[in-house]
Amino acid sequence: MATLQRQIAEKFLAKLAQSREVDAEKIDQLRKLLADQKRRVKAEDFLKIFSLPTGGDLK
Amino acid sequence: MIKLEFAHIEEVRGIRKLDIDFQKRTFAISGPNGSGKSGVIDAIEFGLTGQISRLTGRGTKGLSVSEHGPHVDKTKFPDAAFVELRVFLPGIGKSATITRKVSSPKKPKIVPNDDDVKVALAEVADHPEIALSRREILRFILVEPTKRSDEIQTVLKLDEIGQIRSALNTCQNKLETALQTAAAQVLSSRDALQLHFQISTLRAADLVEAANKRRKLIGLTEIAELTADTKLDAGLSSAAKVAEFNKQSALRDLNALSDEAKGFPDLAKMEAAAIVADLSKLEVDPALFAALQRLSFIERGLDLVDGRECPLCDTAWEDEQHLRDHLKAKLAKSEEARKVQQALLNNGTAVAEAAIRVAAFLESAHKVAEGQGEGGFVRVLTAWKTNLEGLKARLTTVEGLIGLKDRLTVGWLEMPNVFPTGLKGLTEKVSAMPDQTAALDAQTFLTTAQLRLSDYREAMRKNKAAEIACASAKAAYNIYCSVLEDELDTLYEEVQKDFSTFYRVINEDDEAKFTAKLTPTEGCLGLDVNFYGRGLYPPAAYHSEGHQDGMGVCLYLALMKRLFGNRFTLALLDNVVMSVDAGHRYQFCKLLKTQFPDTQFIITTHDRLWVEQMKSAGLVTAKTSIAFHSWTIDTGPLVESNQEIWEEIAAALGKGKVEAAAAALRHHLEYVSRHLADQLGATPQFRADGNYELGELLPSVLKRMGDLCGRAANAAQSWGNAADKEAATKRGASLAASNAAMSVEQWAVNKGVHYNEWANFGRKDFEAVAAAFKELLASFRCETCESWLHVTPRINPEFLRCGCNEISLNLKPKPN
Repeated sequence: MATLQRQIAEKFLAKLAQSREVDAEKIDQLRKLLADQKRRVKAEDFLKIFSLPTGGDLK
Repeated sequence: MIKLEFAHIEEVRGIRKLDIDFQKRTFAISGPNGSGKSGVIDAIEFGLTGQISRLTGRGTKGLSVSEHGPHVDKTKFPDAAFVELRVFLPGIGKSATITRKVSSPKKPKIVPNDDDVKVALAEVADHPEIALSRREILRFILVEPTKRSDEIQTVLKLDEIGQIRSALNTCQNKLETALQTAAAQVLSSRDALQLHFQISTLRAADLVEAANKRRKLIGLTEIAELTADTKLDAGLSSAAKVAEFNKQSALRDLNALSDEAKGFPDLAKMEAAAIVADLSKLEVDPALFAALQRLSFIERGLDLVDGRECPLCDTAWEDEQHLRDHLKAKLAKSEEARKVQQALLNNGTAVAEAAIRVAAFLESAHKVAEGQGEGGFVRVLTAWKTNLEGLKARLTTVEGLIGLKDRLTVGWLEMPNVFPTGLKGLTEKVSAMPDQTAALDAQTFLTTAQLRLSDYREAMRKNKAAEIACASAKAAYNIYCSVLEDELDTLYEEVQKDFSTFYRVINEDDEAKFTAKLTPTEGCLGLDVNFYGRGLYPPAAYHSEGHQDGMGVCLYLALMKRLFGNRFTLALLDNVVMSVDAGHRYQFCKLLKTQFPDTQFIITTHDRLWVEQMKSAGLVTAKTSIAFHSWTIDTGPLVESNQEIWEEIAAALGKGKVEAAAAALRHHLEYVSRHLADQLGATPQFRADGNYELGELLPSVLKRMGDLCGRAANAAQSWGNAADKEAATKRGASLAASNAAMSVEQWAVNKGVHYNEWANFGRKDFEAVAAAFKELLASFRCETCESWLHVTPRINPEFLRCGCNEISLNLKPKPN
């Protein structure tokens, strides 16, 4: 990944972690996805990550 | 990144066989037009990236590396065409050799084949922008803002960032749609639960109360609290749980469906009408329709791109990036189509939600019909539910909606004709059944209640998961956009600052206050530059073409600096310095030396004098420059070894070839005289055509040098600098002695005994001539760096200097 892309990806992940909208497991998956230089990132890749279960139930 | 140590080029472009020792240092290649300079750049670029920029991009249709990369005599033998580069990788402190054949450009042989070496070389291969040709530099300057934005984004590889943003956006839209569907499921299951409990508001206490009423009746313990694990039918035997039919509940379901059915004709009517209107608009506007079809088609194609072959039509492109750029350009043209697409999908989702609601009602009736053995009505309901499921899927894609126009026009629900009578018959049948005993009613009430509560909980879970997924995707998209915007703003500010600084360095004499303004707006990047303090204007408005060329190089360097940071270690500048005029060449060299001390520039120019000026400025040396004097199709570039001119002359004389030695000396003197006249500010009699003869230049150069040495000695005397006085006096004396010894001026001035006569000399005679000129020219060079001396500044010079400043003689005497 070129310098600029890497910078943007790192800042994106750091801000995302601060926002607490996305759990650590998903951020880790995003990090791996964005670090993969061999393939272009597609919407389906993000769909899989954001659709990972996080629990929750009727109380 | 890398630095070049050595290159071996064989049968590539116009080159047959050529070795160049780059020594990891900035290197200049000069030679007349058509002598093969750009072929060297092509070969290096090919060796590093597998591509040749001159054979790709605009205006190169029909050209390819595979067909036009090999020497014209080797097009049928591409295996013979290859480049072997020895490179140094500063990041890992290793040297490596990369050999790339035109026949297999994607499979270079790398030695050592270490992982870190391969990663470093793969990064270089991903950056063809390290090569810059003159035809490319103006693309940054003289293009409209939208194209400049594209060009710069391509150089900075921002298209990858755009791809990530686009994928995040698509993802959040899809998850938004999924959330709407999940929410519709929650509503349906909640309605079914409330209907069963006959309550208008879903409250845990009401559920517990209603359930406990039945549980008490059949002797089950009461439930204290509704928790996530609570089973409303807990304690019922398995046999009792199987009998889930509850007459009153079934009647409520059937009646509710009957009531709901009265509103079926108006269900999502407006949304369906909007879809039909948009589809009609497409029918009367074939161009818009085509754009819309292409949009989905191309979006899908873009997702499927994996290599240089188009997944849509199988056309093979030069490489994958070109194919992607082509598809993206097509997408960009479909903005109106995109708006129609979004409206269609929004309304389609609304109709789909209505279909989900209807299907939930049908599900309840379906269970009752099954329990009552109403096979015919069960089949009707099953078919209808299946129909609605299929419809739901088609409502969420443009392709699906396009095929639904007729259905959406006449009534998308397609309620079976027999449905009303079937429902009526089933309701009557259930009504006619004897009332269940209180105990059985209580049992089946609890069984059904538990089933519906489970459905509701499941729907809630899915909805919660969809909410979290949607919120995550939205947050990710918004944060990515925000980070991207901040980074781009910073990037453009830094590029703008560096660009202005670089340009000021080159033009410090007349544009020391130069500023530039990059203005990014959506999809555009405006560029305005200050014109001599009169305000900001587009570069082409007032600046000369030479200045615009300079701007192109400066913007390129600013972009490279931002792209690679301290890893910007190599750039191939192919003929891009040609428009830098004589007055700004030292400053240009100064720019490269001071702002990019760790970058190796490989510079080509047709102007041999320019290379001499690079040497004087200390940018290159005799050992880090070569000159091609000509080219033939059979030999490729013919290298002239400037640094070994005296050895070349001696070698020719050794073979008894006085004529060849004379030609070499004559040629050398011609360009040295021209160069020194420029460097020292000699004043030969002015010629408007600039076509000065050696006999005019050399005497004026000798006179000028003598004067400068005299001025330097006088100045040193006035300052009391004995060392400089001695150096200047010694140099002047040496010059005078050499001049007198061989009557150079006589040789030069008298054309009748001009250099052609040398060819008639004997070997011994000419050896003396060559030795005398060698000694004479030594008076003009620095013994340490071997550069020619020059005066600085050019106007009203104050110093006589060499490239390394070993020689720096003050010309200004101490004021009285």
